[in-house]
Amino acid sequence: MNLFGLEDREWIFLATVVFTVTTILGSYSTLKLHRKTGRPYTLGLISFGWILQTIGLYARGLQYGGCPLANRFELVQFLVWSAIVLYIFVGPAFRVSLLGMFTSGFASLLSIFSLGFESWDSPGREPIFGLSPWIEMHAALALFSYGVFGILALTSSMYLLQSRSLKQKKMGGLFPYMPSILELTHINLRLLVLGFCILSSSLAIGSVYWSQDIESVNTLKLGATIAVWLAYGILLLLRKRESLSYKQYSWACIIIFSIALLSLDAVDSSSTPVAGEASISIPSAHL
Amino acid sequence: MSSERHELLVVTVNHETVPIEERERYSLDETQVEALYKTLHDNSIIEESLILNTCNRFELYFKTNEAQNGKTIVFETLSSFYGIPLEELEAHAKTRGGQDAIKHLIEVSAGLRSQITGEAEIFGQVKNAYSKCQQFGGAGALINRMVQKGFQAAKLIRHSTPIGVGQINISNVAVDLSLKIFGSLDNTSALIIGTGEISEKTAKALRSRGAQDFGIASHSANRAESVAHDWGGKPHTIGALDSYLNNYDILISSTNAEEPLVTKALLDRLHPSRKNRPLFLIDLGLPRNVESTCQELDNVYLYNLDDLAKIAQDNLSDRQAAIHTSEKIASQKSDAIWQMLGKRGLVSCQQFENR
Repeated sequence: MNLFGLEDREWIFLATVVFTVTTILGSYSTLKLHRKTGRPYTLGLISFGWILQTIGLYARGLQYGGCPLANRFELVQFLVWSAIVLYIFVGPAFRVSLLGMFTSGFASLLSIFSLGFESWDSPGREPIFGLSPWIEMHAALALFSYGVFGILALTSSMYLLQSRSLKQKKMGGLFPYMPSILELTHINLRLLVLGFCILSSSLAIGSVYWSQDIESVNTLKLGATIAVWLAYGILLLLRKRESLSYKQYSWACIIIFSIALLSLDAVDSSSTPVAGEASISIPSAHL
Repeated sequence: MSSERHELLVVTVNHETVPIEERERYSLDETQVEALYKTLHDNSIIEESLILNTCNRFELYFKTNEAQNGKTIVFETLSSFYGIPLEELEAHAKTRGGQDAIKHLIEVSAGLRSQITGEAEIFGQVKNAYSKCQQFGGAGALINRMVQKGFQAAKLIRHSTPIGVGQINISNVAVDLSLKIFGSLDNTSALIIGTGEISEKTAKALRSRGAQDFGIASHSANRAESVAHDWGGKPHTIGALDSYLNNYDILISSTNAEEPLVTKALLDRLHPSRKNRPLFLIDLGLPRNVESTCQELDNVYLYNLDDLAKIAQDNLSDRQAAIHTSEKIASQKSDAIWQMLGKRGLVSCQQFENR
């Protein structure tokens, strides 16, 4: 859909360019010029990219009359959008140097992939939520939690990099500019709690409708969703009981997020509309 | 560029020009600084002046209305003020004039001319000197513009080059690493085993960055108590190490024990009850006091004397490598400041054009 003279994909393409430029500038400034990547400048650029992406997703949403979550491309874009929302609005509270650079890198990587695979953006798709805004909210919250877990994977990578540098006594590269490992472990715990609460809320909303119409969700999607939720739940429990070392915990965060990303495929394939009909159709009387 | 005929000059006595025995003679207390400002004020050929007086350097920046022999008159004034023969003073002091004087100010403020390259303290000292200069009426339009713009240039150098990055003494390297592990040292506790000089310095450096809780361990309970009393902290005996090691986040060890005091087996045993709290082991002992395999444990970070010395050396090399770039920036900025002063008529047009 065209908005302000550009197609939705073109807005998203521009946003991807901004995210990529932010990553390149941030890396150059830190690694080559040895400057601390200033939060205001990174935050400004990422916010600009996010506005462009929001316009693109909004244009796509207008087409559906709802959240643009109808295909793999849109799922990935919404996940990226959620991660950036978290960075822009909650990130400053964490006071983590280089988080902006890592977030823009994450956003540009996923965006480039989603734009690169044309088949991910099947244009003929219909909205997948039927008439229920609650189901739409369930999906939006679930993807938002994935955004939180994405940031968690980034801070976990930062922990592993920092810990490795300290162990191997390599003080160059990003080491001088990254936060302390103890700060990163505290942030990682807060992100895990936040992500898990959001995902649980999403599943709680979804389960109300699923219990009324069990056939509406296929087994693969159900299994994948519960597996991701359980994985993060168990990880949270182990972390709270200090049963895992911080290194194991960080690796677990990265691995579970990678698997969660793959589970999006299950979500997407399960919701393929048949002959133009919505895959989840909740009668309006249920709302 | 000759410094003989300039309206703006700096006379400097510093670690590059004379050894410490001679530098001591130029050191001034606050009353003497005030007296020197008054002496300079009373001299009709000196219009503006700025005195920088630190433990390592005496510098006088001044503007004279006698470009021809201003330098000679100032040397005579200083010789009389210090009671140092003129020939000796001329041998100790270097002068730089015009744009070179501005470049010198930038380089000094940025720490390029410091004995410990890139040290940050000098910037505060120059700021303090400027404040005193204003207080005692030494600053006029030229000094004000030169110093303010010079500060901006010095800040640019410090922010855009690695001239001040990284610590270059072992104690501070250890503190920096502690900060990279714990973030803040306010809630960390440190155990010091052995009472060598480096241990004491490291403990002091940790304390200065916020560490409050210290333990002092020695083979003898009496020695531990005596040192704990002097340094501040809880006394422990090394024999009972396993009973209190888990109470600490940082361990600094510098005994001459033949066998390692901290072994992997000991940490393996204590590790579960630490509940993932990181342990930073600083082994300053020779032979080493901490088994090197301790490093294999998660959340344990082990650094010995060589590791810390190497980091300090690498940081110093990085700083020295940045000198060339920093001097280039100082040169460009001093040129721009000089042009600006010329355009504002703060240095004579003839001198400005003759550059």
